[in-house]
Amino acid sequence: MPNNNGSVYGLTILSPIIDDAKATPSHDLQIRNYLAKLSTREDSPFALAPGTHLARLVVMDDVVFVGAPSCEEHLKSKYLIFESNLDGDLDSYLSGLAATIPDHLNAIWKHCVGYPGAANRQAFIDYMKACQLETTFFFAAVNNKSVSETLRALQTQTAVADFIASHQGANPAKLQRDFIQFVAKLKSLPLPKPGSMGPHREIKTGGRNE
Amino acid sequence: MSKLNETDIQGFVLRGYNLPFARYLFLQFEAAKRARSLIARLLGEITTGQRWDKGKPQSTVNIAFTFRGLEHLGLPDATLRSFPVEFQQGMKQRAEILGDTGVNSPEHWDDLWREDRVHAWLGINGVTMEALDARCLAILAIIEETGGAGALASQDAAAQVVDGKPTTKEHFGFTDGFGNPDYLGVDRSSQPGQGKLMPDGTWAPLATGELLLGYADEAGELPAAPIPHLLASNGTFMVYRKLHQNLATFRAFLDKQGSLYVGGKEKLAAKFIGRWRDGTPIEISPDNPNPAIAKDPSRNTDFTYGGDAEGARCPIGAHVRRVHPRDAFGFSGQLINRRRITRRGLPYGRFVPEGEPVTDKEERGVIFMALNANLSRQFEFVQQQWVQYGNDSHLGNDKDVLVGNHGGHGKFVVQGDASPGNPPFICSNLPDFVELRGGDYFFLPSITALGMIAMSLVDPR
Repeated sequence: MPNNNGSVYGLTILSPIIDDAKATPSHDLQIRNYLAKLSTREDSPFALAPGTHLARLVVMDDVVFVGAPSCEEHLKSKYLIFESNLDGDLDSYLSGLAATIPDHLNAIWKHCVGYPGAANRQAFIDYMKACQLETTFFFAAVNNKSVSETLRALQTQTAVADFIASHQGANPAKLQRDFIQFVAKLKSLPLPKPGSMGPHREIKTGGRNE
Repeated sequence: MSKLNETDIQGFVLRGYNLPFARYLFLQFEAAKRARSLIARLLGEITTGQRWDKGKPQSTVNIAFTFRGLEHLGLPDATLRSFPVEFQQGMKQRAEILGDTGVNSPEHWDDLWREDRVHAWLGINGVTMEALDARCLAILAIIEETGGAGALASQDAAAQVVDGKPTTKEHFGFTDGFGNPDYLGVDRSSQPGQGKLMPDGTWAPLATGELLLGYADEAGELPAAPIPHLLASNGTFMVYRKLHQNLATFRAFLDKQGSLYVGGKEKLAAKFIGRWRDGTPIEISPDNPNPAIAKDPSRNTDFTYGGDAEGARCPIGAHVRRVHPRDAFGFSGQLINRRRITRRGLPYGRFVPEGEPVTDKEERGVIFMALNANLSRQFEFVQQQWVQYGNDSHLGNDKDVLVGNHGGHGKFVVQGDASPGNPPFICSNLPDFVELRGGDYFFLPSITALGMIAMSLVDPR
């Protein structure tokens, strides 16, 4: 299936944005404003809702004419693009978004043509699927593991590295005793929150215009 | 191939002078007209890239400007606003992007760099201290005579003298200065390992536009540059960073960790950097330093990491592997060819041999100067992604062991292997071995551009 790569699903959704000359600010700017203020860390909507590896929301105004010899072309509408790499089955994923972050979804998609709201679960799923394009090719550096498995692996890696660092040169008896305790403790640890494992930076990216 | 006009390019750009004494003067310009008359007087003093067929001169002089300096010289607005934004902002405003936070944040810098007063850098090198002093006096006399600037401060730097001979050692005891790239058209005795890696395993010079403005870079494009073209061409951008070295902390840490590490202290030191202290690459000689390799230009930079993907010989986080990953990221090394910088600079402060008492407080460190065509794409990227972060090399949030901004939390992994003398080892709770004390971004113009600035001929139309 072209939308799948192993256990990861590559979702592409293009929702036409309402074109209303009377709206001030315009609907596309209202989406941009909302997106610009979203967190990219553990309180991101896509970290709160289950199943997202990576998600990106982009407002596409038009095709930019870059000069001859290319020809000038235009889109019929402005679009909200939603790209997501997710675990498993699309219906459950969309259902999870609607159940966990309905206010975020409504605040963003209410500016799109024909959006039914997240409250009517089936209407929401049908709408998203009606806007879906086949992804055909995508790359997600997630090694065919689920979000939970990836978070658990990162947690284990960090914890094991810390354990080794604090036990270098320890005698075998202590090492074994502590390791047994460590493994038991590690198993009981809650899963880290998605988006929480990276370095804390005040800037979102390293781009030249910041 | 790019043909370079060596007499139009400042010598400091084309080659490391290998002169053991240096003094960097920092100027604040007076009124624009007098400042320009100073530049006009200095024009004939500037050392160009012309070959030294008759031997080294007694001293050299080079000049570079901050954005504020160019403003004070009265360059047209249309020119000033065409400079790349990171240069206009200056290094202080880029602190968050560079990871210059915590002890490295601008509030801890020397007064000179906190006050936004530096307009120009004069780099003066000498064969002897006497030659350096004499040249500095002559330059200061010109400054005085024209009344074009005030000298705010000066920074001395010098090669470490061991057994009566100047060396390329820095304070931590490592031999420095191996890694500079070759560029097309730059006349230099090139050696394998110093340019870009070709698919057949040989090395070729990088595109000239990775170093100099006005020439094609590795993408076949002209680097972003100010207008007019003539102002930018044959010039480059320079990063100046005063890096304080906490020598007592480093020695104590290395002693303690070296006593725990089976390979011993010297091998651990080599694992930090990727070279034994004499400069032998551990990738080539993992078990011991080998002076025959360290001193042989055909061998001491000629290595790749493809056969050492696990970091058993050279740790994945070793300094030289981070800042110049060669083929470590695959694609025959092509991912790194637009991320190379050229390093200049010398140590400053008193040298203290191993075993003698030493403190962190004493003024001691290295004046790090880097040249590149694009500050944002080259220096800033290396600093942000490869020094202050580890994701590209699959090291998560780990930072460079020696120059990373750890704040006591860092970790350095020696990957090792199953052999008894080379076990895996982890250094944790890394202190800050190096602290930033200030610096800025400079534009290092061509001789033609200096003349244009001096004579008010910069015309962006």
